[in-house]
Amino acid sequence: MRSRPRARTRLRSRRRAAVVACFLAPSLLIFIVYRILPLIWNVVLSFQAWSPLRPATWVGWDNYDEMLNDDDVFWQALWNTVIFLASQPIAIALALGVAMLVNSDLKGASVYRTIVFLSYPLMTVAVAIIWHWMYNERGGLINYALRQLGVVGHPIAFLDSFAWALPSTIVANTWQVLGFFMIVLLSGLQNIPPHLYEAARVDGAPARARFFRITLPMLRPALFLCLVIGMLNSFSAFDLIYVMTNGGPGHATELLITYIYKQGFGSTRFDYAAALTVAQFAMLLVLTWIAHRAVGGNAGAIE
Amino acid sequence: MRHKLRHAALVAISVIMLAPFYWVLKTAVTSENIYEYPPHLLPVRPQLFNFVDVWYLIPFPRYLFNSVIVSLIAVAGNLVLNAMAGYALTLPFIGRRSVIILLLSCTLIPFQATIIPAYLITAHFGLLDSYLGLALPLLSTIVCIFIFKASFDAVPRSLIDAARIDGLGELRILLRVMLPLSTPAIATNVVLSFIWSWNNFLWPLIITRSPDMQTLPLGLARFLSYMEDTTGALYAFVVMVLAPGLLVFLMAQSAFMRGLTTGATKG
Amino acid sequence: MTWGRILISRFFIVPIVLLVAIAGWNVYVELHAHGLLQGRVVDAAGHPVPNATVILSVHDFVTQVEKARTRTDRAGRFRFDDNNSHLIQLEAQSGTASSPRVTVRLWFRGQDRTIAEPLRLPPSA
Repeated sequence: MRSRPRARTRLRSRRRAAVVACFLAPSLLIFIVYRILPLIWNVVLSFQAWSPLRPATWVGWDNYDEMLNDDDVFWQALWNTVIFLASQPIAIALALGVAMLVNSDLKGASVYRTIVFLSYPLMTVAVAIIWHWMYNERGGLINYALRQLGVVGHPIAFLDSFAWALPSTIVANTWQVLGFFMIVLLSGLQNIPPHLYEAARVDGAPARARFFRITLPMLRPALFLCLVIGMLNSFSAFDLIYVMTNGGPGHATELLITYIYKQGFGSTRFDYAAALTVAQFAMLLVLTWIAHRAVGGNAGAIE
Repeated sequence: MRHKLRHAALVAISVIMLAPFYWVLKTAVTSENIYEYPPHLLPVRPQLFNFVDVWYLIPFPRYLFNSVIVSLIAVAGNLVLNAMAGYALTLPFIGRRSVIILLLSCTLIPFQATIIPAYLITAHFGLLDSYLGLALPLLSTIVCIFIFKASFDAVPRSLIDAARIDGLGELRILLRVMLPLSTPAIATNVVLSFIWSWNNFLWPLIITRSPDMQTLPLGLARFLSYMEDTTGALYAFVVMVLAPGLLVFLMAQSAFMRGLTTGATKG
Repeated sequence: MTWGRILISRFFIVPIVLLVAIAGWNVYVELHAHGLLQGRVVDAAGHPVPNATVILSVHDFVTQVEKARTRTDRAGRFRFDDNNSHLIQLEAQSGTASSPRVTVRLWFRGQDRTIAEPLRLPPSA
């Protein structure tokens, strides 16, 4: 009589394990095949020399050697990517400002929210074309506004100048991504319990102290998420750069990801492109770890 | 007074965010030579014939059809796979924590870091240039799994226990108890997976070989290499391409916003 | 989710309305796409010009290519019956005088159109 409940529990937990396995299997399969396996394959490929017609040979550090010592484009692309990454915290700060403005009982707050977020669901290719037109010397709104306001006397060729091309693409990218940051920060703001603010106000703390002592610390998980998304954005900015400038005048807007594409599918140098991918991914890991420490060592409400 | 300042600031921000939309729309319907300086702020003699020209110039219905099929596959796959995985993660089992950590670290692997091997794998399966090959990498996303998981975690335990006592199997619990209570999560999942698959450019760029398997973003990029005349035909195409995505988003946006701002994206 | 709620939800209504609109438009196009183009030629004083030549040309990527010619009847009217383009130019000639080129933009290929404004020939010297 006593063994029956135990047997039933065993059966139930075994059945549950089977169910869990069945439910998780398809998703895990997709991730293994399309995320983990490619990453490992990239690492392996970066140590090989491989042209699609001949079998792969092991060459050790040759690809990395070429990348670091012989390739000027790599360093230019790396520098551009670093600048691009540095612009993300600025975008996050702007989004925080917008989120705080929207986070109130303002009439029509949801309308403003939708308007700011409207740029995110757009096709990045379309965004690139739109902003390419905005920057145009003759028909573009930006040059027109600058000249009408008397800031400049003649049109600036934004996307054709070595100095302005990268900032111009960064502005376009910020325009698109601002809405997403705002939504994440807004949900973080709405999860701060108001009684903390009440207590601070009763204690006579000024608005600035309230912001730095209550808002920012409570926003750490949301800020970390935004930083990670911002870093992943340096990968997904491929669409924007490819259509807007395709690497820019010379390589002024060449990001690592566009260079990877050009090496992999333009020159069909899969092995070299793999080495570049591993380099960029390593940089991503390092930056994520730094961001993790910067928000206090705990990435927030992760389980 | 504070309210007025907030409104003013928000209006200014809205103008900045909407200006590119307006500029492109204006360029698409104007009759002037768009490269003439100074451009007019309002469309000159607005007309819709640019859209007619674009319709006959490029195979818009074909691109639209391809995009719709791929997005349908991706959204359907996402709903099914993510709901199952999200539910499985709420059940206690050995190694649950490791699986969660594994999935979270997979979010750090951006799609663009996998393109070359993913291309080789897809070629190996013979799925190049096919709808399934286009949709396969997007069939499940980790962010959406955690959105479902957070939503399922919020379902009161009493309901689940009652269902278990009634003898419902796990699948039935998922369908009858969890999903009906998670409509915001479903809406968020549908919208996010639709956006990501509809706007995907790099993967179709690599995978498609024949011109009539191309999706809308590819068609748009290809159109850039057509001759550029002084009419707003290209921008009419941009408006045509953006319209379906915006329409779907605007329809679903209230449920979507609700799903995102109820803290469902924590972690 | 009952069937009633699904039917009223905007996810159902919007696609249905779109499909109905598209079907309606296609029906309209089918009924009105015979390639018929009609118009009149008048001279500088406004009198109809019989037996003038009207040239129809079609935009062929970079240039205009002549597709068809016809002559006006006694009342100065002309018609083309098998136009299958959406962007055409018409020009009238009589003797040495030729009217300026008029661009006609249609909503779909082969749309039947009666051109309201007549082609005006300039006064001959």
